[in-house]
Amino acid sequence: MRALPLVLATLRRLAGSLGLLVGASFIIYMMVRMAPGDVIDAISPMGTPPEMKAQLAAEFGLDRDPVTGYFAWLSRSAVGDFGESLAFSPGESVMAVAVPAFKRTLMLCALTLLAGLALGLGLAVLMGEPGPRQQIFTGPAYVLTAAPSFVVAVLFAQGMNWFIHLFVADGSYEPPIWYPIPIYADSLMPYVFAGFSMLAGDGLFMDWFNTLRAELLSLKQSQFIIAVRAKGARTFGHIVKNLWVPVISSFAARLPLVLGSVVIVEYIFTLDGAGYVLLEASRLRDFPMVVGLSVLFTATVIAVSLAADLVRALVDPREVSRGG
Amino acid sequence: MGGRGTSFALWLSGAVVGIVLLIGIIAPFVGYDPVSDVDYDAQLLGPSWSHLFGTDAQGRDVAIRLLKGTEAFFLPGLLAAAIAVVGGALAGAVAGYLEGFGRTVVLGLLQLIDTLPRLVFIILVCTILNPSITLISGVAGVLFIPAIATVIRRKVEALASEDYILAHVAHGFSPARILIYHILWLQCRPVLIRQATFVFGYVLFVETALSYLGDYGVQEPAPSWGNMVAQTRDLAGQAPWPWLFPAIAIVLTISAFLSFGNLLARRDEEAIR
Repeated sequence: MRALPLVLATLRRLAGSLGLLVGASFIIYMMVRMAPGDVIDAISPMGTPPEMKAQLAAEFGLDRDPVTGYFAWLSRSAVGDFGESLAFSPGESVMAVAVPAFKRTLMLCALTLLAGLALGLGLAVLMGEPGPRQQIFTGPAYVLTAAPSFVVAVLFAQGMNWFIHLFVADGSYEPPIWYPIPIYADSLMPYVFAGFSMLAGDGLFMDWFNTLRAELLSLKQSQFIIAVRAKGARTFGHIVKNLWVPVISSFAARLPLVLGSVVIVEYIFTLDGAGYVLLEASRLRDFPMVVGLSVLFTATVIAVSLAADLVRALVDPREVSRGG
Repeated sequence: MGGRGTSFALWLSGAVVGIVLLIGIIAPFVGYDPVSDVDYDAQLLGPSWSHLFGTDAQGRDVAIRLLKGTEAFFLPGLLAAAIAVVGGALAGAVAGYLEGFGRTVVLGLLQLIDTLPRLVFIILVCTILNPSITLISGVAGVLFIPAIATVIRRKVEALASEDYILAHVAHGFSPARILIYHILWLQCRPVLIRQATFVFGYVLFVETALSYLGDYGVQEPAPSWGNMVAQTRDLAGQAPWPWLFPAIAIVLTISAFLSFGNLLARRDEEAIR
């Protein structure tokens, strides 16, 4: 009998997410319609031939009123057709460029968050209860990690340049393999550096650490763990099982923030992920690309929050009965 | 919690916040012409008494550009904080107060805004409208309304069943007065302070990030902390001060605003309890 409410809650949540996606895409579409002057001139790059403009106008439903135009656009974008790239990668379909780039970005974000989780949890276990002596350490760390991730990334890249100046002999051309700015497409190091900058910036890591430590402490002091301890059993398994739910929640809650900082960090380290493509396309005024990527980013936020809710419901049956 | 360490941190961050606010207020009255400041005989000078933080690649004084750079985010930041706090408090109070259909509509709208990834949406707005930093910060303020509204709504819902609020209702106080004065002002002040400083810090982040990227935000030759940091791109390793001082200023200001808001709110929360 446990399954039925779970299925119902899942369906309800799924419908809600779809509604959100439609609503958010409507906001994005209306932003396009709000372009100043003649919309089609505003959104096409300089020197676009008239037949291209006509095609673009048809793609965005600009020849109709906003509502039917929106549904025309939605019916095509719902099946993944966001039109063709105008300037970033002319002639290719937006999805052909956006999807591989997006995969790289999601990988980077996921690895960053996982590394943050592992480090934060490890540190939280090591540090134990907060005390006045720890504030000497955590206070400055808190201030330093509040730096925006792009500043961390810039300082990091500068430090690297300076470091390499010291260690690379004059006249040698090859940079070391751990150089953060990619020169070879298959190098993994830029991703490691970008992940580090994102983790160290925006207060992300200290946030993780504080949340995890608070959860861990409150669990350790809770009645049932004390009862387990009193019986002489191991508490580790019980703690891990109950730590799941808050970890997933904060994982999902931080992803939008990370999806924001990844845009700029990718640009600084010139990683060809979705953030880099978004900024380049925006610079080149490649509209279909910018709109397509914006929808993809929004869909990711919605999908992750949906997935987090579902996993939470599976892991913790109390969530369902609470009607969450 | 609390104790001497906390109040020292509060004073320290408060001092930085105060200095930034002071500079933000006096900056518009300082005359500065970035073009006539160019001096090719004084490129990349180190810090000295005549140039406190040195000069940049065009021989412009870094200190005065730092000071004038506050104009780029000061008023926009205040505007965004005001929009987010007023909008969030009202939306949260209304959502907490209403029942049935109206509540569903308000909650749905808030959730809708909340799903838009903030920076991505701001870049989209920039691409379409090529807006001023004031409009960008207005958008940032709106994007923060749901975050504030959620906290306020929970608070309103929790307080609505409290005896003393019921007593106010029984005394015939108007709902507006109970919501605005007794709930928002007396009970939610710490939350609002914390969120306002957070939004201000976020606008500083957005402004510096956009100016750093160069296409939107404040354009050279007008100074902004972001486009000052962007000089790293041309100056690889030659002289650190043109970009190091603005980078330090960004880090210090953002962390000071965040910790000041947090500490002040925590003290206020303890006082309410």
